[in-house]
Amino acid sequence: MIHWRLITDDGVSASFGLAADDCLATRVGAGESQPTLRLYTYRSHCALVGRFQNVDHEVHREYCLAHGISINRRPTGGGAILMGADQLGVALTLPGTGDDSYHRARELMARFSQGIVIALQSLGIPASFRRKNDIEVNGRKIVGLGIYRAHAPVQPASAPSTPPRSGLLFHASLLVGLDIPLMLRVLKTPFEKISDKEIATVADRITTVRREMGCEVELDEVRARVAEGYTAAFGVSLVPGDFTSVEREAISHLQSRKYDTAEWVNQTTAVADMTGSAKVKTPGGLLDVRVTLAGNTLKAVFIGGDFFAAEGAIADLEAGLRWQSAEPRAVAARLAHLYAARASDLATIPLDALTQAVQQAIRRAQVAESVARADPYGCFVNPESAYA
Amino acid sequence: MLINARYSFPAELYYDRSAHVWARPDGDAVTIGLDVLGLESLGDIAYLSLHAIGVPVRRGEAMGSVEAAKMVGDLIAPVSGLIATHNEAVLRDPGLINRDPYGEGWIARLIPSDWARESAALVHGIDLGPWVEAEIERYRAQGWID
Repeated sequence: MIHWRLITDDGVSASFGLAADDCLATRVGAGESQPTLRLYTYRSHCALVGRFQNVDHEVHREYCLAHGISINRRPTGGGAILMGADQLGVALTLPGTGDDSYHRARELMARFSQGIVIALQSLGIPASFRRKNDIEVNGRKIVGLGIYRAHAPVQPASAPSTPPRSGLLFHASLLVGLDIPLMLRVLKTPFEKISDKEIATVADRITTVRREMGCEVELDEVRARVAEGYTAAFGVSLVPGDFTSVEREAISHLQSRKYDTAEWVNQTTAVADMTGSAKVKTPGGLLDVRVTLAGNTLKAVFIGGDFFAAEGAIADLEAGLRWQSAEPRAVAARLAHLYAARASDLATIPLDALTQAVQQAIRRAQVAESVARADPYGCFVNPESAYA
Repeated sequence: MLINARYSFPAELYYDRSAHVWARPDGDAVTIGLDVLGLESLGDIAYLSLHAIGVPVRRGEAMGSVEAAKMVGDLIAPVSGLIATHNEAVLRDPGLINRDPYGEGWIARLIPSDWARESAALVHGIDLGPWVEAEIERYRAQGWID
């Protein structure tokens, strides 16, 4: 039977938590550390942005500074998250096989998610892996996922044709509980204010273990289920352990060299974030669409208004558009595909009106971007960084 | 000359077998990009970052990072050297790499430190055709391409 080490640690700092995962991925890839499942929590609270996000676009920095909320940057992609004692961090580090291509990202994501899906199902929560990278319950996201492929350093003695070795880091944040008002104060959202309506809008798109179970389940209970879930999904034996002294030294070095530096945390990308909105009247009500583009990719979509739609249907549309092309024809095709799957749930919102609204919001975002491009001191300044 | 009708591999380029990165000598520098099979497995690139100009890189090690489909990975240097130039256009619009991988979508230029020795490990010349065919077959067998 294959053995994985199981590390459980709680209340870690943002820089230690991230450096440990990054360090283990590289060391496991190089054969210097054993495959490890780490189930841990961060010290309440910290805001973690995705690998290529700009902190000031995603996080209310002044609020964080005033309330002792640390900010850091994950090695994995995706959006900003709030982590603390009620959010279980899952980090699985395995050696790469040499064929861990990006084409397999969805397949790898689905496979590595299985331990969490089994755990949630064992708690009576009907969770499933959907699309590229979500674990959802009835259309509401409950786990965020990401993968980082770390190349191990080339050994000096290697022949020039020796392929580089790599380690895989599968990252997940499982919402056992969530303080939505706090999240809205920490993370930037399309909302201009925080009222019951905005909180309800977020609650319609994400959920937690406690909400689904209707009771105050302890995080340790969920953690134990996740460990059992991975044992069942991969047929492995989990051996409780801790970081070795050599690993702790390497993690500490990576903290001071990378995750504790402003250069890593505050780095920016040359890909401009662009936002646009559009309102379209339909027989079913007003559609209010807001989009954020990362270059030509839809990074975030919010569909609001005063129409009625089946529970979870709008969240499903928004999630189905995220990280897709912003090309008009691609948007139309994607929406048509999404509508085909939930036609009756979306009967009050005409497909052509929604397509028009999303495309118009994208055009407005692109126009705003081209105005910004004319400003030589605008967002295209690309400070060079050692952490490319 | 293109080696395969569907997947183009210009014959004048040198290719890294595992990273699917191409290299082209341009005077004292080497221009770097991603080949079409590498891009086929990546999908649409959302973000790209590169180590700073002047930073030394070693063959087989990271010279930057890419994000596509929420998977983040290193961009691997096919040869050792100093990073001399970034393609600012692809940093602003990484989709350019998908649209024109061997032209406007070049990524960076390096000043190589040992091109003569390290280029021998790259695929070029008469080895290119058989390698491309074998790689396409491998990708098909894995279900990564149709």
